[in-house]
Amino acid sequence: MNQKHFLDLKIPLGIVLTIYGIILSIYGLLTPPELYLKSANLNVNLIFGLLMLSLGMIFLLLSFVKKKL
Amino acid sequence: MLKANFIDYLIITIYIAVTISVGYFLKKYMKTSEDFFLSGRSLPSWITSLAFISANLGALEIIGMIANSAKYGILTVHFYWIGAIPAMVFLGIFMMPFYYGSRVKSVPEYLKLRFNEATRALNAISFAIMTVLMSGISMYAMALIFEMMLGWSLTESILLSAGVVLIYIFWGGLSSSIYNEVIQFFLIWLGLLPVTFIGLKLTNGLSNLAQKLPDSFIHSWKTLNTASQNPMGIEWLGVVLGLGFVLSFGYWTTDFLVVQRALASENMRSARLTPIIAAFPKMFVPIIVVIPGLIAIAILPELNQNSAETFEYNKTLPLLIAHYVPNGILGLVITALLASFMSGMAGNVTAFNTVWTYDIYASYIKKNMPDSHYLKVGKYTTVIGILISIGTAYIVKFFPNLMDYMQLIFSFFNAPLFATFLLGMFWKKATPWGGFWGLLTGILTAATHYILYKSNILHYASEMAANFYQAWWAWLADFMVTIIVSLFTKKKNENELVGLVYGLHKENLFSEKVKLTKKPEFWGVTALILSIILNIIFW
Repeated sequence: MNQKHFLDLKIPLGIVLTIYGIILSIYGLLTPPELYLKSANLNVNLIFGLLMLSLGMIFLLLSFVKKKL
Repeated sequence: MLKANFIDYLIITIYIAVTISVGYFLKKYMKTSEDFFLSGRSLPSWITSLAFISANLGALEIIGMIANSAKYGILTVHFYWIGAIPAMVFLGIFMMPFYYGSRVKSVPEYLKLRFNEATRALNAISFAIMTVLMSGISMYAMALIFEMMLGWSLTESILLSAGVVLIYIFWGGLSSSIYNEVIQFFLIWLGLLPVTFIGLKLTNGLSNLAQKLPDSFIHSWKTLNTASQNPMGIEWLGVVLGLGFVLSFGYWTTDFLVVQRALASENMRSARLTPIIAAFPKMFVPIIVVIPGLIAIAILPELNQNSAETFEYNKTLPLLIAHYVPNGILGLVITALLASFMSGMAGNVTAFNTVWTYDIYASYIKKNMPDSHYLKVGKYTTVIGILISIGTAYIVKFFPNLMDYMQLIFSFFNAPLFATFLLGMFWKKATPWGGFWGLLTGILTAATHYILYKSNILHYASEMAANFYQAWWAWLADFMVTIIVSLFTKKKNENELVGLVYGLHKENLFSEKVKLTKKPEFWGVTALILSIILNIIFW
C-alpha cells in the first residue's frame, strides 16, 4: 500500500466485528429460547455472533501478520 | 413498533462511535484539497471497489429493491445482472483509462477538457442539483423507517444520521467517506443476512419458497415476451434497451458519485479494477434484497391480508424485521440500515463537494485562489450540502414510490449523459458544441417525455416501463443531436484531445504487461460470464 495512506482499515474493521461478535455471542448464550420463537427457533444471536467474531479475528490477524513481515 | 433493548442500542452506539473515530483519526492528514477530495489518489483497489459498491448500496437501494422484489418478484434481478454488471465492466475496461489517465478531478472536468466550458457547466449544475435531491430522498427514506420501527421522530433521525455524516466528512473528506464505506459494506451484509437466513428457514429453503410463488415471480426472462405476462408490465426489449443499456450505463459509467471512488485509486490498474472487482459483490446483492422480497410475499401476514394494490411496498423490510428478528440481531439490522443510509448519503455529499468546489466555485466564482482556500470551501460546502439535503428530505415526503422517483431523476440527467460520453470517448470527430447541444436535447427529451406520459398522451403498462423507455428516447436524442451538430461545427484540435479520446493517447492505456490474473480484462470477462450463468439459472 502507498505509504502515504493513512490507516490500515483491517484494524477498525477487525475491532468492530470482534466487539459485535463478543456482545452477540454472550447475549445469545444468556437469552432464553423463547426469544427465538419469532426467528424460527434459531438462536441467530449466537450464530451471527460467532460468525462476526471469527471474521473480526481474521482481520486483526491479517493486519498483525502484515506488520510483523 | 419494535422494542429495541439496551443490547440493540449498545450495538448502534458502537457503530456511531467507530464511524466518528475514523473521521477523527483522518483529520490530521487532510492538508491539501487533493487529500480532501481525492484521498491523495493513493488507495488500493480492494478498498476503492468496496467503497464503490457501498456508496451505491444506500438506503433507497436496499429498501427500494426489497420493495421492488415484493412487488415485481425476481424481475428485480435485472437491475443487477443485465443492468449493473455489464456497465461496471465496461466502465473499468473501456472508460476508466480516460477518466483516470487524464488526471481529471471530476466527471464535469472531463467534459470541459473533451468538449467545452458550457457542457461542463450544464453537467456540473444538473449533477449538483441531482445529488442534493438524492441525498434528501435517502434521508427521508431512512427517517421514515426509523419512525416506523423505533418511534424516532422524522427530525430526530434526520439530525442523528446527518449529524454523524457531517462530522466524519468535515474531518476526513473523501478518505473518511471511503474508509467508512468499507466498514459499512461489511455491516450492511452481516446485518441483512440474518433476515434472509431466518426467512429461508421459515420457508424451508429456496426451492420450497419458489413453489409458493406465482410463475411470473420466479422467472427472470421467461415472462418477458409480452408486457401483459409479467408483473412489471414490460417486454424484454424495454428491459434490455432502457434498463440494461441506457439507465445502467448512464448511472454506472457517468455518475460521479461512483466514479469518484475509482479516481481515488493509487494507479491506473487499480482504477480500472475498481468497478470490475465491485461487480462481484454487486452480483450477489440480490441475496440480501431480492430473496427477502420473495420471502415477504410468501410469509408476511400484511401482504396476504391487504390486496397487492393497497400494500405499501416500502414497508416490506421493516415488517419483516418486526415479525422475525429478535433483540440483539435487531440492533445489528438497524445498524446495517443506518450504515447503508450513511454510505449513500456520504457518497452524495462528497461528490457534491467536489463538483461544487472545483467545477462551480473554482471555475466561475473565485478562480486562482491558493489551495488552502479551496480546502476550506470544500469543508464548508459539506455543511451547506447537508443542510440543503435536510430541506429536500421534507419536500420528498410528497412523493409516494421512492424508487420510481429515483429512476425518474436518473433518466432526466444520466441517461442522455451516457450518449455524450460514448461519443466523446470513442469518436474523435464529436465537437464541443455537438456535445453541448446533444446533452441539452437529451435532458429536454426526457423532460418532454415525462410530461407527455403524465398528461396521458403516451401510455405504458407501468411506471417502470415508462421510465425505461424515457431513458432510451433521451439517450437516442442526445446521440443523434451530438452527431448532427458535430458535422456542422468546429472540431477541436487533435493534440488537445490526447489522452481523452480512444485512439489518441501517448502510451497505450489499455494493455500493461502483467500476469493474466492481474489484468482488468480477465476479471471483467469472468464477471460477465458469471452473470450470464446467473441469468440462465434463474431464467
